[in-house]
Amino acid sequence: MSDIALSIPQARVARPRSAARVLRIVQTVSIFIIALVIVSPLLLLVVASLKDDRFQILADMGSFRAFWVSKPTLSNYAEVGHLSGELAFGRYLINSLIILITTVCSGLIVNSMAGFVLAWGSLKGRAVILSIVIALYVIPQESIIMPLVMMVSRAGMADTFAVQIVPWVASPLYIFLFYQFFTQLPKELLEAAEMDGASFFRAYRSIFLPLSLPALATVSILMGIETWNQYLWPILVTQTDYARPIAVAIATFFGQDSIYWDRAMAASVLMMIPILGLYLVFQRWFVSSFIGSAVKG
Amino acid sequence: MGKRLLWSLVLSSALAATWADAAEKTAIQVMHQGDPGFVAAYGKVAERFEAANPDVDVQFIYAPHDAYNEKFSAAVMAKQLPDVMELDAPFLANYVWSGYLQPIKPLIDKDVLDDMTESNIAQGTYPIDKDLYAIGLTDSSVVLYGNKKYLEAIGARIPKSVDDAWTRAEFETYLEKLSKLDGVKWPIDTFRGYGIKTEWITYAYGPILQSAGCDLIDRKAWKSEGTLDSDACVDALAMMQKWVKNGWVVPQSAGTNQFYAEGNPAALALGGHWVYAEAVAAMKDNLVVLPLPKFGAKSVSPNGTWIWAITKTSKHPDIAAKFISFLLKDKEYRAYVASQSGYPGLKSFAAESPLYADGGPMAIAFEQASKTAVARPPHPAYPTITSAFMQAVDEVFNGGDPREALTTAAKKIDQDIEDNDGYPPFDDEQ
Repeated sequence: MSDIALSIPQARVARPRSAARVLRIVQTVSIFIIALVIVSPLLLLVVASLKDDRFQILADMGSFRAFWVSKPTLSNYAEVGHLSGELAFGRYLINSLIILITTVCSGLIVNSMAGFVLAWGSLKGRAVILSIVIALYVIPQESIIMPLVMMVSRAGMADTFAVQIVPWVASPLYIFLFYQFFTQLPKELLEAAEMDGASFFRAYRSIFLPLSLPALATVSILMGIETWNQYLWPILVTQTDYARPIAVAIATFFGQDSIYWDRAMAASVLMMIPILGLYLVFQRWFVSSFIGSAVKG
Repeated sequence: MGKRLLWSLVLSSALAATWADAAEKTAIQVMHQGDPGFVAAYGKVAERFEAANPDVDVQFIYAPHDAYNEKFSAAVMAKQLPDVMELDAPFLANYVWSGYLQPIKPLIDKDVLDDMTESNIAQGTYPIDKDLYAIGLTDSSVVLYGNKKYLEAIGARIPKSVDDAWTRAEFETYLEKLSKLDGVKWPIDTFRGYGIKTEWITYAYGPILQSAGCDLIDRKAWKSEGTLDSDACVDALAMMQKWVKNGWVVPQSAGTNQFYAEGNPAALALGGHWVYAEAVAAMKDNLVVLPLPKFGAKSVSPNGTWIWAITKTSKHPDIAAKFISFLLKDKEYRAYVASQSGYPGLKSFAAESPLYADGGPMAIAFEQASKTAVARPPHPAYPTITSAFMQAVDEVFNGGDPREALTTAAKKIDQDIEDNDGYPPFDDEQ
């Protein structure tokens, strides 16, 4: 009797502990599986880029062999690197970097300025302008792309770097992101700056902009990814390798009759590296921006 | 100081000489598509052409295959059409009707024109004025590739010529037998992996409907209703749907080749001539090339490929034509195209292609060009015709009702023709 009485509380204590442990194991395994699913396309891309036979890549698709390479080789990377003339990948990579850096830098300035004016400016009809900016966001790029082609070609911008940068510098989404961030900062900062004799622009440049690192990081990454992945627009407005980005060059591997999976995979990995670098640089602020906005609701 | 001045003078003179050289040259722009091999081959031809014509500068405009039409539309809207453009043959009627191309007969070298095969002439000719607007080194066809080992295992008859092609009953019997054979995962690969962004469905499956006794559109009345949605077409598409439902066809998700992939999971392949080079490399003697089956009274095969035209806006049509003639005669370019199992569109190129000569492994494919080839409808509404048909086939392969899908497609095509007032003067033909 006494044995039973003693054993009951012990069992009550042990059960929640083991349940918690099982739950933790289930959680860990689930997270591991989800992570594996998310990472697998990336893994497949890298593994395939190390295979020397494009038919082997195809044959391996759909099985676990797609994630394994018995004799890894860098020959695909060498082939991509050796392409010359109209297919010189180095040239396209540099073009992409020029477009990326210029677009993101200009975008940060223009969109943050616009967001700041909409948040704290004395402009009349700010609310209406903000509504228009938000409304513009829902217009799909595809619907305005042909009129835009006509505009830029009439302006003599075809086949330049400018044609791939200027139309995409100002963006309703990023203006709104900056607007939202600036409105979350206390207005007293602006009032204090004005009392100290600082101009509206000075307050933006010296006080609000340095405080908006998370917003700057978020916009840099989103804008960077968007710019880096531009495909249709560069095809439509550029003619030669002078200013064409790498995304267009990779398309040559997807021919009418054959697809060169091996080189396409290697080129895709090369294309991925700079944007991954951009993310790693800004990752801390990017994450904190999202956490911040989630907490502030 | 003196040295610096001297260097400045040398540099300025060099720059001035370069500038003068560039200014003297006449530039022609060539818009094209292609994989890295072809892009490199065009570049080398241009180098040889420029060496032979030092006053000409050939500038290439590359447009990826999947975005070629968008690039072309943008060039039209921006009034930046190139001098020379590569185009897919079935779109020729639309481009000529829209006024983008000019006749090339007076411009291209006569020996090249005289060298064209009938099928090549057909793919570059506008049916209204019967004038030639484009020319190519190559044409194309689709054949039935077979895995000899599997076909022998089921006791299939191996046709020796186009006249000898399998009948529909034979073909379906073989598909069923192959589906039960060890090692065969799918009896046939119809290259569904090419998807609906390419011309593949209209190009390769359209002839099956034509062979079964119908067509995408009535080629005299230029009306699709009553033709595309006729019983013969519905029956043909229902037959193909049955193949898919039975699991006989390689699914789209399996990619663009299961016929010569490792282990040969597909026994037959309804594939373009370009498949041959890769298939034979993988399968060696186990590869057999068969004519397309007769799904009705006759066999029908497709033709038409990417060919070269000169735009109406070209300021230098003579130089543009000179470049095209040079390209089509270029020995190294021809050797490269032959290495890719290029289907001859010039008689001299056919003579240089033992692959397609009598007794050659692809002789049946070349025989189809003269006996069974039917061009896709040469009508300005072709972009709508192909898009509507491809959507219908895709819907049916995914379980849709064949009659319903074809009726919708036929209505869409007729509506487009009506919206364009019959694309005159095509409406005068009625």
